[in-house]
Amino acid sequence: MKPHIKHRITRRQSLTLIGATLAAMTLPTASLLANAVGMQQKAFAGTDKKLPVIGMGTWRTFNVGSDPELLDARTEVVKAFFEHGGGLIDSSPMYGSAPDVMGYALQQLGTPESLFAAEKVWSPAGGSAREQVAELKERWKVEQFDLVQVHNLTDWREHLAALQEMKAEGTIRHVGITTSHGCRHSEIEQIMTSEDIDFVQLTYNITHREAENRLLPLAEERGIGIIANRPYDGGSLIKNLKRRNAPLPEWANEECGCTTWADFLLKFIVSHPALTCAIPATTQVEHMRENMRAGHSPMPLANARQRMIAYIESL
Amino acid sequence: MNEWTSYQLQDFIPFTAEVYFRLLERMGETFWPLHLLTLGLGAATLALALKNRPRTACLLPAPLWAFVAVAFFLQRYAELNWAGGYVGYAFIAQAVLLVVMALTGWGMDNAPRATNPPVATGITITLFGLIIMPLMAPLSGGSWHQAEVFGIHADPTAVTTLGLVLIILRGFALWIAAIIPALWLVVSGLTLQALDSTGSVVLFAVLAITLVGLVWKSIKPKR
Repeated sequence: MKPHIKHRITRRQSLTLIGATLAAMTLPTASLLANAVGMQQKAFAGTDKKLPVIGMGTWRTFNVGSDPELLDARTEVVKAFFEHGGGLIDSSPMYGSAPDVMGYALQQLGTPESLFAAEKVWSPAGGSAREQVAELKERWKVEQFDLVQVHNLTDWREHLAALQEMKAEGTIRHVGITTSHGCRHSEIEQIMTSEDIDFVQLTYNITHREAENRLLPLAEERGIGIIANRPYDGGSLIKNLKRRNAPLPEWANEECGCTTWADFLLKFIVSHPALTCAIPATTQVEHMRENMRAGHSPMPLANARQRMIAYIESL
Repeated sequence: MNEWTSYQLQDFIPFTAEVYFRLLERMGETFWPLHLLTLGLGAATLALALKNRPRTACLLPAPLWAFVAVAFFLQRYAELNWAGGYVGYAFIAQAVLLVVMALTGWGMDNAPRATNPPVATGITITLFGLIIMPLMAPLSGGSWHQAEVFGIHADPTAVTTLGLVLIILRGFALWIAAIIPALWLVVSGLTLQALDSTGSVVLFAVLAITLVGLVWKSIKPKR
């Protein structure tokens, strides 16, 4: 018979436990998430809904036309995305056949509940915002978009007004605006201040951090979700690091579990408290898996983030 | 990084190298053995051009420009790039231009001599487009379906046509007939450069040599 062991908690231990619990309750949500297991999720747009911090972009990578071989290859990438807890997929009528390729993949795989379908309206695509959204729904083969954004602020007043109407009718769930390459930040700021929008998509990565100055604090203040595009700066960040044969610092693994450059670069982005998710794009299943692993705990805290910046700048 | 200068060339190319070269390969797979006919037409055009039959030589490439416009640009390339449709219409315009020139005889050089340097340049460029360009992909390790062929793919069609117009046309008509092929080579060269392909160097080199030929033929007395 096993001996019955009694654990008696002392008064000092009890006080320590209560104190630690109270301290944990005062920590910001991001810190709690930083210790969670699996893909981290963040609340967005002032709601209690959450999105996985790693999404998927489709610029260039999903524009494969009607090539059957490449259609199947991209379907495998989407499959890996969902298998690893993916949610937001972002596309645009400017991305050639990418919306059709998403439609093909969703038809093959079925539409998982976790899908957060994000599209855009863009004036050169032709037709009103309403017509574009209807056409894109056909191409994606989805009932409804979770988010429709005004691409690169083209005719944003007209498009945003139309999208707000569609949101009020329940045709779409959320509205947003996009920019990239650090362009037109003052106009973005003005729209974030004056308009009722749910998301802003902008370029934010470890070497392009202009958004930290005004846009990210403003997004936190107004409860606007932030989607970070070009997390690898169009692929050049990873390419340059590999070309220089730059070693991944050991402390990055110890402090925030970085075992690849994808971990390092993506964890830096999504650990910013204002960020909702990053949308790296890839054509490779293995790269997709790497990207998705970056959304797992632990995440870098403020000191580690500064160290990451310093390290990249030192290379 | 606050202005449009932060954009790079590759930010304007909406597909990857893998997709673009697969598209070229699929053109080859889909239309084989039409290549034999288009190459035969190209060779016949060159022969007619050198036998002082410039109007027929001007007419023969026209249907091939229309074919590339529809089969390559409108039906396939436009799936990848919204601007592809406009390039397709430009190729159709080139086909119409060649037909109009052939029917009216506008700008024909009725007695081109192969020893004339601009004409010799035209012959060299034509042979390069007809023979060397199809061999470039297979010789660099690709399959035969990756071979880019006059009348099937846009680049050799533009290159060969530039060579031909240097032989058969003169004056203002020569420049007019060269505009669309030359502009396409600029677009294609920039595309290949953004895709990290060395093919861009070839296209820019052909373009530069053609430009020299155009200027030479324009300023030099005909005979």
